[in-house]
Amino acid sequence: MRTLRVIKAEVIKTMKIWLTYPIMLLFWGIFPLMWVLPFIFQGKAFVGGLESESFKNLTGTANYLSFVLLGAIISTYIFSGLWGVGNALREETYWGTLEYMIVSPTHPLIILVGKTVVEFLYASVVVFIQSLIAVFILGLRVGINQFLPVALIVFLLLVGFYGLAIALAGFTLLIKEVHGWVRTLEWVFYLFSPIRYPVEINPITKTISLLIPLTYALVAVRAIILLNKSVLDLTKTLLLLGLMDVLFLGTGILLFTYLEKQTRKVGTIAMH
Amino acid sequence: MDALEIKDLTKKFRRGKGLKKKEILALDSASFAIHEGEIFGLLGPNGAGKTTLVRCIATLLIPDKGKIFLFGKDVFENSLWARGNIGLLTSGERTLYWKLSAVDNLKFFAALYGMTPKERDKRIDYLLELLGLKDVANERVEKYSSGMKQKLSLARALLHDPKVLLLDEPTLGLDPGFARFIRNFIKEELREKYKKTILLTTHYMEEADELCDRVAFIDKGKIIDVKSPAEYKKEIPHKEVLEIKFIGVIEKSAIEKIPTVESVSLFYEDDITTLKIIARHSEDILSEALNIISKDNNKILTINNLKATLEDVFIYLTGTSLKEDTRESLEE
Repeated sequence: MRTLRVIKAEVIKTMKIWLTYPIMLLFWGIFPLMWVLPFIFQGKAFVGGLESESFKNLTGTANYLSFVLLGAIISTYIFSGLWGVGNALREETYWGTLEYMIVSPTHPLIILVGKTVVEFLYASVVVFIQSLIAVFILGLRVGINQFLPVALIVFLLLVGFYGLAIALAGFTLLIKEVHGWVRTLEWVFYLFSPIRYPVEINPITKTISLLIPLTYALVAVRAIILLNKSVLDLTKTLLLLGLMDVLFLGTGILLFTYLEKQTRKVGTIAMH
Repeated sequence: MDALEIKDLTKKFRRGKGLKKKEILALDSASFAIHEGEIFGLLGPNGAGKTTLVRCIATLLIPDKGKIFLFGKDVFENSLWARGNIGLLTSGERTLYWKLSAVDNLKFFAALYGMTPKERDKRIDYLLELLGLKDVANERVEKYSSGMKQKLSLARALLHDPKVLLLDEPTLGLDPGFARFIRNFIKEELREKYKKTILLTTHYMEEADELCDRVAFIDKGKIIDVKSPAEYKKEIPHKEVLEIKFIGVIEKSAIEKIPTVESVSLFYEDDITTLKIIARHSEDILSEALNIISKDNNKILTINNLKATLEDVFIYLTGTSLKEDTRESLEE
């Protein structure tokens, strides 16, 4: 009950602060989908439309636009988590409030769970808007029966990524730097996982992509939506994602706990 | 049982990289105890180790050595329990959510202290009334003056009704009216009415003199002595304090060489130099001191023979003025 109260208080506090910056809110609500547009224009310029045979040979679907839209939507979820959770404690240091949170009898990990929930809710709203635009304006076809399997895959993906974000939050606490880390991760994912293009195009990207959980989730979501596969066809992927969740979340929590203690030792909690 | 017991506390900070790497001893085997219900002052110049000590007690910093006991329990072994029994107030405006109102700030922190909505609302109402913030309770904190922000920070420190309060330079940077309000509040409400145990750090000797039952002098991380303000003043009963203000610069060592001078401090502010000399008889040294000052065409402004204050005792014991900045790094 107490934990729920902390999470609720964190959600309300963050929402109220966000609402004082309406332009920023509007910007971040729309911006994550904007980068899809150049891909649509490029596709049209290269092949004269949004369907390509060579693309089909690599991915199983000729529909380039749907491929990119799904990449955009799923990656919004994870990048928003990485930025948000990784940066959340840093924001509190800027406001000067972090010390007062840490000095309370609530475990810092619970505070971070609160921040994770806030980011999840925010990302869900953005993804919902993106999905509406993708379906009703850009013509992405999604069946109602596909919603639950996709939600399950996204959930499994997010749990692992929030583990990574929690570890990042710990590093941020200690070394006061988050942008470089998240930017690097972002570009590693853009380059080595099939967010914007099929990684099979190149043997190096194909091999490295196998180490990134996002690859499995994207392949599975596209298989369900674009190739009409059933969730039963993807049992191996689900198991693998589940296993990665345990690994990432466990490591994330352990790292955060260790780094938070280190921060108390070196005395840099309130530093910018 | 003592409310708070500090045993042999040592904290070093390691700063810089490579050849510039150095170790700063912020706390050097500090030990003292605070009785339940007393206001205990920690008096020392900037950089003496006061904030480091407070941060260790609040569990924000883990010491290299030593123990801290809160009502007999080790605070680091029972950190969540200890945090629930401690209220912290520091100086500085940036400790609140400026985009939120006073009520929203307090509601958020109440959740972190595990308060139910019912007890939270009652307590917030009471504290805002007590601290005179009721009328601005729903206004954003960014519209508050520094003093109002400090009052709200005090309300936050008292939110969970802690047994022990750590007040770190609570009046620093406040205008005299707000500083007076905070001092009266500490004295009349927190001590007299609610019998709180308070650790007050300050480098204002009048504040320590007025509020504290006992005071620890701290300098360069070491606890020099612990006594009541009255007992401290008895330390130099047969000494006189000569204060000369002038425009110009002199060497401290030139004054120290005058026979019968026991302690000297020099402090510069707004182009005015304040020289304080502790000696057995001030008239014995006055003419020689004036000669030294006038030698370089310095302009003498005032000469006073003063009663010994806590600051004079501090200078007498440490050779350091409370107004000096003894910081070795910005971190302390």
